[in-house]
Amino acid sequence: MTDQLSKRVVLWGLVWFSIVTLSLPTVIIIGASFTSGDIIRFPPEGFSLRWYWELWQLSDFTNALLRTLYVAVICTLISLPVGTLAALATVRYRLRFRRSIQVYLLLPFTIPLVVSGLSMMILFGEMRILGQLWPVGLGICIINLPFMIWSVSASVNAIDPDLENAAMNCGAPPVQTFLTVTLPAVMPGVITGGLLSFILAFNEFLVSLFLTDSRTVTLPVQIYNSIRSIITPDLAAVSVLYILIALIAVWLLDRLVGLEIFLRSK
Amino acid sequence: MTIHATLSTGRRRFLQWGAAGAGAMALPGLARAQDKPSEIIVRAWGGAWGESLKAGVADPFTAATGIDVRLDFTEDNEIKPKLWAAVDQGRIPPIHVNWDTTTNATISALRGVTVDLSDLPNLEGLLPLAKPTGLDGYPLVNTYAYVYVCAYRPEAFPDGPPQSWTVMLDPKFKGRVALYDDGIGFNPIAVIAGGGTFDDVPDNMEPGYAFYRKLKENQPLLGEDADFTTWFQNGEIDLACTISVNARAARQSGIAVEWTVPAEGCKVDTDGLWVPKGLPENEEYWAKQFVNFALSEQAQAKWCSLLGLPPVYPGLAPPEDLVGDPSYPTTPEDFARLVSVPSPVLVENQPIWFARFSEIFQG
Amino acid sequence: MPLTWRFLDTIEALVAALWPARWRGATGWAFLMPALLLVGVLVIGLGYMLEYSLHELNLATYRLRDEYALTNYATFLNRPVYGTVLWRTVLGSVLVTGITLLLAFPYAYVLVRTRVPWVRKALLVTLFLPFFIGQVVRAYGWLIVLGREGLVNSLLTGLGLPAQDLLFHFPAVIFGLVQYMLPFAILLIVPAITAIPEDMERASESLGAPWPATFRHVVLPMAWPGLIGAGVVVFTLTMTDFAMPEILGGGTTDFFASAIYDSFFQISNPGLGAALSMVLVTLGSLIVAAVFALAGPGTLGIRGART
Repeated sequence: MTDQLSKRVVLWGLVWFSIVTLSLPTVIIIGASFTSGDIIRFPPEGFSLRWYWELWQLSDFTNALLRTLYVAVICTLISLPVGTLAALATVRYRLRFRRSIQVYLLLPFTIPLVVSGLSMMILFGEMRILGQLWPVGLGICIINLPFMIWSVSASVNAIDPDLENAAMNCGAPPVQTFLTVTLPAVMPGVITGGLLSFILAFNEFLVSLFLTDSRTVTLPVQIYNSIRSIITPDLAAVSVLYILIALIAVWLLDRLVGLEIFLRSK
Repeated sequence: MTIHATLSTGRRRFLQWGAAGAGAMALPGLARAQDKPSEIIVRAWGGAWGESLKAGVADPFTAATGIDVRLDFTEDNEIKPKLWAAVDQGRIPPIHVNWDTTTNATISALRGVTVDLSDLPNLEGLLPLAKPTGLDGYPLVNTYAYVYVCAYRPEAFPDGPPQSWTVMLDPKFKGRVALYDDGIGFNPIAVIAGGGTFDDVPDNMEPGYAFYRKLKENQPLLGEDADFTTWFQNGEIDLACTISVNARAARQSGIAVEWTVPAEGCKVDTDGLWVPKGLPENEEYWAKQFVNFALSEQAQAKWCSLLGLPPVYPGLAPPEDLVGDPSYPTTPEDFARLVSVPSPVLVENQPIWFARFSEIFQG
Repeated sequence: MPLTWRFLDTIEALVAALWPARWRGATGWAFLMPALLLVGVLVIGLGYMLEYSLHELNLATYRLRDEYALTNYATFLNRPVYGTVLWRTVLGSVLVTGITLLLAFPYAYVLVRTRVPWVRKALLVTLFLPFFIGQVVRAYGWLIVLGREGLVNSLLTGLGLPAQDLLFHFPAVIFGLVQYMLPFAILLIVPAITAIPEDMERASESLGAPWPATFRHVVLPMAWPGLIGAGVVVFTLTMTDFAMPEILGGGTTDFFASAIYDSFFQISNPGLGAALSMVLVTLGSLIVAAVFALAGPGTLGIRGART
């Protein structure tokens, strides 16, 4: 029993430390967004929705928000099939040069984002596709592709290859096996990966900075640029708005498929 | 605007240029040049800077011409490669007018990506400061001067403003002094504060580096405009070398900050406007009109008084709170207290200074 | 149902026609191809960088000279500051990876093993929310918490203790990065722990093994692929980060990506920036390759043989 107790104390001690570190800045920013003063401060000066109101009144703001949504959707739509197939390929099929492929697929993380952003700007510029929004989605998809691949491959690792073999042996044709056995089995990974792709695209600013202009600017880029001069409470308000969107998304997900899907082992 | 309209701007712009191109065959050049675009995009700094440009230049320009002005707050250093790549690849640049530091603008001019502004009527009668040095004609035009002042927290200096920059080395201010993260605005001052003279710049910067090495012991913070404001606000620093505009904006939003020009002087510099090459002819025409408008008496008076900076338009009175302020030089004696390094010297030497600066502070 | 079946049959036939059985051996490559092509965009970018890095900047025109030269790589070698910053970056990445895994593992474990649904949900929500506060705004939050006149120091002075310098040094950078990387690491470890049958742990414990021993001999080895995967992700993301070090380090504890940024943007020398990028990408890839070779590919894995 004391053994179980010490386990609980150690584990929960570390978990509580993580919980506090993960949430503290969020709590501060939420609090600060309700200030009635001109600067971010905690505890906030008075209580008001002034900065939310100011946010709402910016017509640029809603446009930027919509563009961000569009970009995040494009990014997720590309990530899902590309990442899932790549994950299946890397885990289920025998491939040559596999070490090199591993390192190659990690390039989006080993190349600094400014460099990725700059080179995509030059390449997309040569291709004359800059100034449109879909290349932004594509660019963000590329720099975050490893996340998608690994979320899926983590769940591919967890499934039993015999299941597929059994299906095949029973005469199930390949596409059917894929749709009825393989895909459902990796679904938790696909959902985690898709969600992560969407979230990251929704918040990406460094690569987007190079691929957008002021007519196609996305919200994170706008925030990044305005932070350069002075940090006002409207930025805190934007963050809170983001959190609200996140909570609604998480709630919806919970209602629709259940959050447990992240943790399903089979 | 619906999302559809937002997304289709690219196509609409294309059609618009197509129309402009078709018009070119039918109409004489001048009439076509004056086809008004629906908006022009001006890169600007945000916060107090952007607000002053909007109130002083952009809004009156819109009122006078009917052309909307969209401000793009991409950072000056980050728009540089975007503009250069656009011009090199023969694409339409993402902005019409760049509000830029004279040093950066000079670099773009050397690179040949700027449009000549010599034919703007409002150039006539401006102070000599408006003319860029070391360049032919007007590939850019300077619009005002600004000073990298010594901003301080009055509470930390009960005996009055700091008299000398060497106060930065006082152990009392350990970890409580801030500079720009590339040493901009302070390099020549460091030479003087380190025992050298202005004549040592740029050939003998060693006194300045010696000053930096001593300053490193005092663990200064390095940042940018937004950081300084934040740090002052949160009581992290007592002293910073920053542009007077930022200090004034901080004071106006209720942060306890004052500024002064210490004995060694302060660096004075200029900002300017330029128009990138590669715009459709009518848009380039109206971009130049915008620059011309920014040099008019009305725009200069309002824009620069909001910024709290001395304009290049002669004979304008300083805003009330800055009369007699050393950060607002008007007379030759005022300028004598300040240190001015010609742009060509800066362009040539700033990379070297920057390398040494980061060697000392990042090492 | 019959309609679905017919539909599926059509698809089956289509696939069989387009991708005959004798090509099956290449199916893996076909699946991988879209990802290879997308990452190929970055390889083209690296090609640009390699080309830039071999030309010196001409300060009279601010364009790269036509002739090939190794000046930029020489600059990297001749300025000790680059070595110092690179070392700081690698050391920082190792520390951040270690600490992050140490915190992420128990979090993921509790998340998977807890039997209370609301605890699990709360832990998941806590995990996802920080994604929505950007690095810069988050660093600003830290300034309010850890600053000289921040919450923690007010608490300390309130208790009669001396105020501490909690920000603007290397440990602050490490802390900020760990907090930033933690959710990524947890998400990548969770599947590995999910795959460990709880019975195994119980069996070990019922045999009288104390929990640390069970962890060491049962849980950790089985979660190993997940830990390697998460570790590689955290390491590479940290190695290329520059915002956190700049903001929480007070500008004097920059990481190598800052030097790259400065070369491209502050001093407009794309040749030097490209050379520094090549150095960082090469080093990062070598380290990753070494980790894969020594510790196996983890959940990021590409399995060789499947029998």
